[in-house]
Amino acid sequence: MIVGEPIVVESLEVRLVNAGQLALKGSVSTPTALAEMKRLFGLTHELAVTSRLERFTVDVRDLGFVNSSSIRAFVDWISRASHAGYKLAFTTNAAVTWHRLSFSVLKTLAPESVEIVEERPAGSPS
Amino acid sequence: MNTPSGSQVERTVRIARRHEAVEDARRVAELATSECSAECRQAVSLAVAELSENVIKYGAGATDSDPHAGTIGVSVDDDMIRIRAINQVGSAEDARKVFDLVSRISVQGGDIRDLYRSRMVELFSNPTIERAQLGLMRTVFEGGFRLSCYVRGAELEIVAERACRIDA
Repeated sequence: MIVGEPIVVESLEVRLVNAGQLALKGSVSTPTALAEMKRLFGLTHELAVTSRLERFTVDVRDLGFVNSSSIRAFVDWISRASHAGYKLAFTTNAAVTWHRLSFSVLKTLAPESVEIVEERPAGSPS
Repeated sequence: MNTPSGSQVERTVRIARRHEAVEDARRVAELATSECSAECRQAVSLAVAELSENVIKYGAGATDSDPHAGTIGVSVDDDMIRIRAINQVGSAEDARKVFDLVSRISVQGGDIRDLYRSRMVELFSNPTIERAQLGLMRTVFEGGFRLSCYVRGAELEIVAERACRIDA
């Protein structure tokens, strides 16, 4: 992965924003997009471990839809981060139902290893 | 295990055994729910995707001459959305497993968040588990649907229903 260069597979776009942040955009509904997302999660995990990062940010605000196999991919990444000892900070969009509900549950898997930063779109009720 | 009655106009899509079929089904759902609120559309999109994936993964009966593994139907009336997924199953045991899962997550007063979390904990603790089996739970937990399951011989039908809000 090259910083700033997006990787696009079908309707999924993944971009390494900097050495400590990944941004995901679009949707994941096919095995091809899922396989690429899992591969990039694996590469990012290796990056976090070799760089001895204490915290890695994953911006999913523009990730509108994922299938349940993708939720499993987040579970697996959290498990690996938890064992490796770094924190995953997910930036989510409060207007997207699956962000609001599933990330609140994902956090309970490893509360010390997961942080949720929920952003509200301008004009939405607080 | 009886058959639901249905008087609404239903948009139906046949699900071929290829993963692009999920997107085809979601497009049909978008058409059927174009006047619903954004929250309803998100919920329907999720449910249709999860049910279509299940049809593709587990539906038996597709052949070289007919690659369709089942059907997804979406209907909307004044205040209710109904999604029906129908497919053939490989064995009575497969049908029973789905029936039992739907029964478990549809228990009145049951806490679907707890069930969803419990399954995630299993996956978290044991990454080698092959099947996530989160789809139907998400349909209830995130989508706010009520599920029911009907078995007629080798045919399995899952019905997902929820209240519908029309965009103001």
